[in-house]
Amino acid sequence: MFRRILIANRGEIAQRVIRACRELGIETVAVYSTADADAIYLRQADETICIGPAASAKSYLDIPSIIAAAEVADADAIHPGYGFLSENEHFAEVCRSCKITFIGPEPETIAKLGDKVAARALAHAAGVPIVPGSDGPVEDETKAIAVAAKIGYPIMIKAAAGGGGRGMRIARNEPSLVTGFHAASSEAKAAFGDGTVYLEKFVENPRHIEVQIMADKHGKIVHLGERDCSIQRRHQKLIEESPSPALTPELRERICKSAVAVAKHANYQNAGTVEFLLGRDGNYYFIEVNARIQVEHCVTELVTGLDLVQLQIRMAAGEKLPFDQSDVRFNGHAIECRINAEDPDRDFQPSPGKIDLFVPPGGPGVRLDSHAYSGYRIPPNYDSMIGKLLAHRARRDLAVRTMVRALDEFIIQGPKTTIPLLRNVLNHSDFRAGDHDTGFIERYYGSHPGIPMGRKDNA
Amino acid sequence: MDLKLIQRLIAMMNRGGLAEIDLEDSNAGIKLRLKRESAAPPPQAPLVHLLSGGHALGGPMMHQAQAGVPAAHGSDALAKKELIGTPIPSPMVGTFYRSASPESEVFVAVGKRVTTDSVLCIIEAMKVMNEIKSEVSGEILEILVENGEPVEYGQPLFLVKTS
Repeated sequence: MFRRILIANRGEIAQRVIRACRELGIETVAVYSTADADAIYLRQADETICIGPAASAKSYLDIPSIIAAAEVADADAIHPGYGFLSENEHFAEVCRSCKITFIGPEPETIAKLGDKVAARALAHAAGVPIVPGSDGPVEDETKAIAVAAKIGYPIMIKAAAGGGGRGMRIARNEPSLVTGFHAASSEAKAAFGDGTVYLEKFVENPRHIEVQIMADKHGKIVHLGERDCSIQRRHQKLIEESPSPALTPELRERICKSAVAVAKHANYQNAGTVEFLLGRDGNYYFIEVNARIQVEHCVTELVTGLDLVQLQIRMAAGEKLPFDQSDVRFNGHAIECRINAEDPDRDFQPSPGKIDLFVPPGGPGVRLDSHAYSGYRIPPNYDSMIGKLLAHRARRDLAVRTMVRALDEFIIQGPKTTIPLLRNVLNHSDFRAGDHDTGFIERYYGSHPGIPMGRKDNA
Repeated sequence: MDLKLIQRLIAMMNRGGLAEIDLEDSNAGIKLRLKRESAAPPPQAPLVHLLSGGHALGGPMMHQAQAGVPAAHGSDALAKKELIGTPIPSPMVGTFYRSASPESEVFVAVGKRVTTDSVLCIIEAMKVMNEIKSEVSGEILEILVENGEPVEYGQPLFLVKTS
């Protein structure tokens, strides 16, 4: 087992990893930038090292600084958390050559799964459905028409060199495909210098279903159930839950089996998540693998009773997975709300600054993972998430009720937060019915996020 | 008594704002008190008072402890230093070396005049030896870190009397 782990991250996940280490009797080294000198979890670390100024590029993303810190502090493993260097295969490779264990998958696995085209091909080879597409560039409109006819409308025309939603167009029939094809191509040429486009089936208002994977270094891989992360705003998750209200037991089993098949095909090690889109017609399609621990891992921890971060550490240390798939039990229903310091009335502009009063909720069925406290100054340099609030009860409706109670109790004075929006969503009839998809936020809060639930104003 | 332990205790004291720690090593028959003197400015760092101890300790032990302790972590100690010198902070985390190699001369010693072109030390990170240049011109008043010691970003390395 490791003697000392360096946590190459910050905020609530740094706190999470330190907690896991303390319970395992492992020493911790916390690195921090000058902007995080007042972080509360630094007090629990055995050693703290300032590694750079506020800018992430010069601190949390600076590989030589992180490795230097690990070396001077004599750490034998590094936990990368999520974000930052957690899916950087170069960093994982450097750790390996410095004889420091990277707590996560192998560098080669991270590289392969990080390439979305390669990942799709891998899923396909594993016999898992992928979003049907042209599987390569489409050179002219004749080819586009042929491919579209084969896949079926609606079609998404995507720029090969694009990203972030740019250079994308939806076509619902052949005429709009033709005009869309040319428009997307010239837009891409202008924006990215490369007019190459490819086609994908457009899955209309899908649900986002992801499966938690855990694997040891000896070839054993299990799934720990799914999470439904359909409540998103501009592809950022706001609310996650498990189990998904959209899955029948049969569909659940198929999706989870597909996830394990992908992981097996990739010789996956440690923790990871396989993501799918679920269409209204009940078809599901692989989209990608997140080769790291995720923000919403706590949801799975609550329903399975497992400590995923401790498992990560133990698997990375070479231990065998101490249970079989048939041993995994799922209890009750868990929901997570991400608490962000953002102003929903100003298009979710970040709202950093001093928290004058922080009074967290509590009581039965409530879990809060947060590094914030009264008097804490939220630095403006990093993401705006200040905590994750979870509710776990025997049934979904009870979990929702507990979550609403917890959000009502939660006092955060100073910065603006997304708590009012989250309450609105939880009280919305569609969400209560479990009949929501990734279009939910845009549909009800797209133009006027401040409007209370139930009113679909389009003014 | 482990010197590294004493250094870590002193860092802990400064971080936690503690004024005094009493240590006892019954095996070696040593008792030690680490005390922050807030009134009089400490020569380098919190003073290490030897309360009682075996013959083997005595002066050299205390001397060693005092000399070896980086004043760096103590903002208390540093506040006093501001009166007599400009601190040169470390621009990176790594290991501090006073010379380019174990056989070479040290880059600077107390009393040496430096300019903004002068190399003061090496900080090694991931096997890369980074030459650290002075940010100011003046005279080296004090060297705050021992050769081979780890340093963090922003940790004061030298005190310079600017001119």
